Amino acid sequence: MNVQSIDLGGRRLLIESSPALPLVHVTVALTSGALEDPAGKEGLTRLTARAMRRTGGGLTQQQLDTRIDSLGGSLGADVSHSTVSFNGTVIARNLDAFLDLMIDVLARPGFSEEELALLRRETEAELIEARDNDRALARRWFSRKMFAGHPYARSVSGHLTTVPTMTAGDVRALYQRTWTRENVVLSFSGDIDAAHARASAERLLEALGSGPRLADQVTDPTGPRGRSLVFVDKPERTQTQILIGGLGSHPRDPDHIALHVANTVLGGTFTARLMKEVRSKRGWSYGAYSSLPYDRHRQAFSLWTFPKASDAAACIQLELELLAAWCEKGITQRELAGAKRYLTRSHAFAIDTATKRVGLAFDALIYDLPPGYYEGYLDHIGEVSLERANAAIRDRIDPEHLVVAVVGTAAEIEAEVRASIPGLSAHEIVAHDAD
Amino acid sequence: MVSRARDKRLAQLNQGAAPHAQVRHAGTTRFGPTLAVERFRFGNGLEVLLCEDHSAPVVAYHTWYRVGSRHERPGKTGLAHLFEHLMFNETEKLGAGEFDRKLEEAGAESNAATWLDWTQYTIAIPKQQLPLVIRLEAERMSHLVLRDPQVKSEKEVVANERRYRVEDDVEGSVSETLWAMAFQKHAYQWPTIGWMADIEAFSTEDCQEFYRTFYAPNNASIVVVGDVTENALLSRVQEAYGHLPPSTLPLEDVQPEPPQLEERRTVLSKPTATEKIAIGYHTPAIGDFDHPALSLLSEVLFGGRASRMHQSLVRQLEIASEVRVFVGPFRDPGLTEIFASARGSHTAEELLAAIDQEIARVCDEPISSDEIERARARTELSLIAGLETADGKASTIGFYDTVLGRPAAAFERLEDLSRVTASDLRRVARRYLVPRQRSVVMVRAQNGDKKEAAE
Repeated sequence: MNVQSIDLGGRRLLIESSPALPLVHVTVALTSGALEDPAGKEGLTRLTARAMRRTGGGLTQQQLDTRIDSLGGSLGADVSHSTVSFNGTVIARNLDAFLDLMIDVLARPGFSEEELALLRRETEAELIEARDNDRALARRWFSRKMFAGHPYARSVSGHLTTVPTMTAGDVRALYQRTWTRENVVLSFSGDIDAAHARASAERLLEALGSGPRLADQVTDPTGPRGRSLVFVDKPERTQTQILIGGLGSHPRDPDHIALHVANTVLGGTFTARLMKEVRSKRGWSYGAYSSLPYDRHRQAFSLWTFPKASDAAACIQLELELLAAWCEKGITQRELAGAKRYLTRSHAFAIDTATKRVGLAFDALIYDLPPGYYEGYLDHIGEVSLERANAAIRDRIDPEHLVVAVVGTAAEIEAEVRASIPGLSAHEIVAHDAD
Repeated sequence: MVSRARDKRLAQLNQGAAPHAQVRHAGTTRFGPTLAVERFRFGNGLEVLLCEDHSAPVVAYHTWYRVGSRHERPGKTGLAHLFEHLMFNETEKLGAGEFDRKLEEAGAESNAATWLDWTQYTIAIPKQQLPLVIRLEAERMSHLVLRDPQVKSEKEVVANERRYRVEDDVEGSVSETLWAMAFQKHAYQWPTIGWMADIEAFSTEDCQEFYRTFYAPNNASIVVVGDVTENALLSRVQEAYGHLPPSTLPLEDVQPEPPQLEERRTVLSKPTATEKIAIGYHTPAIGDFDHPALSLLSEVLFGGRASRMHQSLVRQLEIASEVRVFVGPFRDPGLTEIFASARGSHTAEELLAAIDQEIARVCDEPISSDEIERARARTELSLIAGLETADGKASTIGFYDTVLGRPAAAFERLEDLSRVTASDLRRVARRYLVPRQRSVVMVRAQNGDKKEAAE
């Protein structure tokens, strides 16, 4: 990769110049995210980031958006458990004026009471609106049960009970504690040279305050015990959303890449086992995937399908059988070879633009990936043997310890769904509009 | 010099080639400041659009068929989309699943989409894999195997896709209702995914007939963008597609939509917490002189959080959680579709009144030059950002070539937009955003949120 990594007094700056298009991408991110939310204030980190975006430099939301739009720019704030990132894109000729606005947003937020009150009410409305999204409902309840007792179970967006309690004092305190130059990572990519990027980064860092570095105090989650079902009850569902999963892994785990290859065989592609059995043979679900995402600590491994309501129980039963077979018998040499070829060759599309290449280097810093994770990615894929892939499945994935989350109409299918899960140790029905 | 060298290379390719395989250069079009699109036409009618871009060792290979849901008829809706699914099945040389398996092992990213006017198959591959993709795409253009088990299974998959996108999705079902109400003659009245009863009723014979009719070289364009050279591409395309005969394309049988003379309105009841509204105004085709002005007007009204509608409905009145617009980019006149979701106990009627008020303002009061410039800048950013990857460039070229016959029309639109004046915006607002030309779908909430309702 051609990404330059520069140390600016302990702060990391990533740069890749590319004149292919007259665009510049800028990202400034925190090395911590919603896990910084105080207890009972879930959603505060997200609310703070959105308030920064709307009150930078003491401007109003409309003034800020008008100026950003006029420059041919966009600036969004993304918040997850482990990071807050401000992602800006601007037509290259307007970069410096755009950076002035970014500095206003990051270093000089006004946090006016009026805007915070508006934002709280908007967030409450969005939380209610989100109930229309069945897939998001399934994810939310899956995470809540999967990581029960661990900070990953907490909602990044917050709740109707927490958002209204957030005061300007809460927002300012969180901002001052987290948005210091000690806690940020920066990147520039696109139509900007290294000297310009470095000078811009220094200007941004200088504008930020100083403070102690945030320590990651989160431990690795332990995952669920036994098999449990959470059924999210919503009226008039002709279709279900189903997530089945357990604890996954982190790239620091020595067998992570081996598990990543094995997961590709189970549900990582269009010809993977899940897709073949659920969609191609039976036509039960438009999509059928398994995923092994990473975060700063071990995340969940999960299977996702969305069959029609009358096929839900049979689909869950089939998925559990496929999962058990994958765990017990592993994958075959032919499947391993196919997955390795796919992962090796398709990596070209993870690195086909400067912005994507910088993005991978950025992830490595934010998510504490092992040194050289992406630089050596192709070699590590090539080194995975059948024994290592199958050992990784056996060691990491336990089909007896799973959470099953289903969104559907309980009166019609819950009993059938419950009966389709052998060895179920706990089950509950929750209302789709429960907070 | 380039032209003479190309003539020589084409003459070599055509030497001894059958008439269907003869290829000729059909024009060069600049694509932005540094790239160009070369058009080639084979004897069997196949068009190839090549944009060499050596910035990354990848190639985007997109096949656009000029068939979409507009070519269907009542009782057979959704056939173009079902067929898009079937194209990933068995061929004479490849067993079930082999097409995808070969692509995956080549490291390809593949997808497909069907809409009102067209069907698109996209493949992005590392450049070394281009010969494989050319062979595979040519194979499924002409040697697809359609049997009962595949058709039956794929119908079930599509039915599930419909449940996902329409039956269990409030916005999906509202949009479908809106288009069905707004169009009474034109084929745009039915959804691309098709009515459920039609999906369930398709026979294997329906699919075979559709394939024979529309999947042929003279109904397709191949768009290739990336790290490839002209000669290497053309010789392989000639080898793979040159033997395919053209089909006899049927005369299109689309009825123009008569003018709408009065507002149409309906009310749905859905299991959602808040009321919604969708409004569809009849607006011109993408090739119409007024389309760029209408797009710019939509940016002024709805584009981003500084827009008039967001400021009014979301921030000042606080009656909506979101409001947005979609301007139809279709060959024939379509809809400009507005969607808004109410907040708390506010009603769809309140949303409509607030939207009407902002539309009345743009009809009555001039839009400032600052607002127009901002809308232009947003449009320019959107276009450029979509061109970062080979895939993005291929989609832009293919889309504009398929609907307008001009592969670089995206850049022409930027020039058109630079000429749009405040008078143009007022004219299109007064001409198109009028109540008698609109259809309205209001959604009542079956389970209104008690907490919000109490506010």
